[in-house]
Amino acid sequence: MLLSSSAYFIFLIAIFFLYWVVARSRALALAAILFGNYFFYAKWDIFYLFLIPAASTVDFAIGLGLGREKKRWARRALVGTSVAWNVGLLAALKYMPFFLENWSAWTGQPKPEWHWSFPLGISFYCFQALTYTLDLYRNDAKATSSYLAYLSAVSFFPTTLAGPITRVAALLPQLERKDRELSGEEGGRAVFLIGLGLMKKLLIADYLGANLVNRVFDFPNLYTGMEVLIAVYAYALQLYYDFSGYTDIAIGSALLLGIKLPGNFKMPYAAESVPDFWRRWHITLSNWLRDYLYFSLPGLRSKWKILTYMNLVITMVIGGLWHGPNWTFVVWGLLHGVGLGATRAWQVWRGNPRPNQAWWAKGSRIFFTAQFVCFAWVFFRASSMENAWAVLARIGSMSVSFANISAPIAMVMGIALVAHYTPAGWYKGLSGIFVRSPFYVQAAAMALLLLAIHYVAATGAAPFIYTKF
Amino acid sequence: MIRLPSKTTLTIVAFGAILGLADVVPALRDYKVMDWRTIPGVLDFVDRRPSVDPELEERQRLRPETNPYKQIRYPILDPKHTLDSFYQALLQTEGKKQGEVVRILHYGDSPTTADLITSDTRVLLQKQFGDAGHGFCLVAKPWAWYAHRGVDLDGSGWEIDPANQSTVRDGLYGLGGVSFRGGAGATARIRLRDRGHRSIEVAYLRQPGGGQLRAEADGKELGVVNTDGAVRGSGFARFRIPEQTRVITLQVMNATVRLFGVLLSKDVPGVMYYSLGVNGAYVSVLARLMNEGHWREQLRHYRPHLVIVNYGTNESAYPKFVDYVSEKETLEVVRRIRKALPDTAVLVMSPMDRGQRMTDGEISTVPAIPRLVAIQERAARESGCAFFNTFEAMGGMGTMGRWYEAEPRLVGADFIHPMPAGAKIVGGLLYQALIDGYNKYKLRLLRKRTMVASN
Repeated sequence: MLLSSSAYFIFLIAIFFLYWVVARSRALALAAILFGNYFFYAKWDIFYLFLIPAASTVDFAIGLGLGREKKRWARRALVGTSVAWNVGLLAALKYMPFFLENWSAWTGQPKPEWHWSFPLGISFYCFQALTYTLDLYRNDAKATSSYLAYLSAVSFFPTTLAGPITRVAALLPQLERKDRELSGEEGGRAVFLIGLGLMKKLLIADYLGANLVNRVFDFPNLYTGMEVLIAVYAYALQLYYDFSGYTDIAIGSALLLGIKLPGNFKMPYAAESVPDFWRRWHITLSNWLRDYLYFSLPGLRSKWKILTYMNLVITMVIGGLWHGPNWTFVVWGLLHGVGLGATRAWQVWRGNPRPNQAWWAKGSRIFFTAQFVCFAWVFFRASSMENAWAVLARIGSMSVSFANISAPIAMVMGIALVAHYTPAGWYKGLSGIFVRSPFYVQAAAMALLLLAIHYVAATGAAPFIYTKF
Repeated sequence: MIRLPSKTTLTIVAFGAILGLADVVPALRDYKVMDWRTIPGVLDFVDRRPSVDPELEERQRLRPETNPYKQIRYPILDPKHTLDSFYQALLQTEGKKQGEVVRILHYGDSPTTADLITSDTRVLLQKQFGDAGHGFCLVAKPWAWYAHRGVDLDGSGWEIDPANQSTVRDGLYGLGGVSFRGGAGATARIRLRDRGHRSIEVAYLRQPGGGQLRAEADGKELGVVNTDGAVRGSGFARFRIPEQTRVITLQVMNATVRLFGVLLSKDVPGVMYYSLGVNGAYVSVLARLMNEGHWREQLRHYRPHLVIVNYGTNESAYPKFVDYVSEKETLEVVRRIRKALPDTAVLVMSPMDRGQRMTDGEISTVPAIPRLVAIQERAARESGCAFFNTFEAMGGMGTMGRWYEAEPRLVGADFIHPMPAGAKIVGGLLYQALIDGYNKYKLRLLRKRTMVASN
């Protein structure tokens, strides 16, 4: 059930009414959310109905242990078990085919069969679950004694498929509070975000994907170097609008139930450096990697400064691999790790000077950062390393023709670029106007949007790119 | 007490009511975007796990019977048994008699250019009848998309003229529809992954003032080809190559040399399947753009047992061409081949399905495709050729939509070019159809012999 499908919105409306009808009772409200969570998982595969409760129960029990246990070694053992359990789940359900394939390639042995592949949303689930036990271990949060609240939080359906990765400790107080209510302003903002997300996804991301990006990445050799280069830029826009569209719908859906989720994007292609990009792109993942992985790696305070750079690379390679069992993601992570390390080394060498604020200097930094990010996206999008080389080789051929870049494609890319660089304040202003509008205006605006999507997009909803990770 | 958020509830209810207006107000019927019948579908818990092997599933869907004698196959339509000469050649090759080589020429558009489909059929036929060599390939890549399985090409210094994008426009494009003009230093490197090849044959244009070309195998000179001649005409230079040869190099030594391609052969009986694709090609490439006399020379030199004419995907974007020109052009191609090779079998192979996205988001078949397939079938019947309906064999209307939905996909996002797994399915279907025909030929032969014996 995609977040942009009509089935999802029918489901969401049903959960909305169910939740608010029983909202006065804490237990019933949590049960309504838990029902929604497991219904959502079951729509993908009934097996999740066994997997997710079992996985959550283990972490809940570990959480109870961490809440009571004071001995250092016991706490280490408990958190170690939680890490092993979640990483083991990820390895078994998502990465095993990749491991077996590489093992087979290296040893020359036939690849053993593996039928336990349930990759959907499992990366997000495991990372979200780990925030709970790791926060408890670090005494950054308190353990909940409510099994129901924990189950509702750790598998909260709007975040299931593609985040935003939300700390369970941040969700729990919102789910457990007694004074549940949804103001007209919050409800309006939720509806606005859902509408905005649908526009981003169906009018921009899917259009660029279906009409240019997928075609070029399928068969780069059928296109000129310039067309392939434009397709890479189009992919950068597609990915942003797809993922940020998903995030808007997820945040809006949660907000309809009175739950606030963290934001995930801040105009990422306006980043002036690679570290700046990671403060603007998939913010909840970069925060997770920084807080739970990078800070946990040994050597952070070592006199051997090289370890800091190595840790950056290791963190980003693991972050890359988290996106999927494919060497292309490893290369993508490696590129960003090296980019982050090189930027830090440069800044240290120059004594952390304040960047030149002249428009041309800022513009150059934004331009070159965007080029680096787009170059790395080639590996992120490519189906294999061969495919990535084919794309880069075509760009390197420098052949020029724009025959496959139709006027509508150019127009959608232009709109997408302008919309991306539009100041956030403008969106806030627009959201304010929508929120203050009477209910019938809001309803009419949403109906008009749906009509526009129906007639303009006409490509059917493609799966969200980030739900594959 | 119930705590429904009033404004948001009203927004949702009003939103539903506005959508519902299209169902009750006739004037708004065209603006209906919500299909209320989909609501029960929310409770549908079908397994959505991606297929582990979509290629296998598609094969099983096309041939659900496990018993090979009951499998649903789309046979080659050949009521007059015009393919018998080809089947006879196959029969002799199957006996592994020295020197018995069956040569198949497959003319087509972009999938053929990338050796998709053709390479799969080649592999299957060579597995059964023997591998007599890779066959014909161009000396460099006219398009980045050009590829031959088992052969890597690398060329520099050539002016390349595909028949449909040529600047010379003299119709002299050799067997493969592409000519390569190069001055001193122009080089072609052909890397062979299969080291069993024992000879090469360079196809060139003999012409007044033609230059010389040096041929090398793994750096050792094989000989020099002089392309100078009193009159323009097809020239061929054959060289033996040492065992285990990996790289063939052709280099222009002086003046200008015009090449058409190179033939890679082994010394063993078997099948040679020439993949002769031109990017963006349509049937008129053979009917009009290739000089008839020159092409005839080429066809007679290579002496194929079967010529497959496989166009239509590019034509399908031009309905008027399909309706008013394609039949005439197909008949003209058959006439040209017949004139060159009166005893050679000709198979008209229809295009695959071609999808397009409709306004409701569905991917359906381009309307001209079924019409074109019918026209080709009629042209084949009228001209006494065999016909293979690729479109129906792969599943007919809407196949590309289904292939696009498969995970991993069997067709690219243009709904035209098959992914390697999709091409393998089509290559397998063609192979199966050829083998069905061949088996039926053997049965007929057996019956004939039995009748003669009983008489």
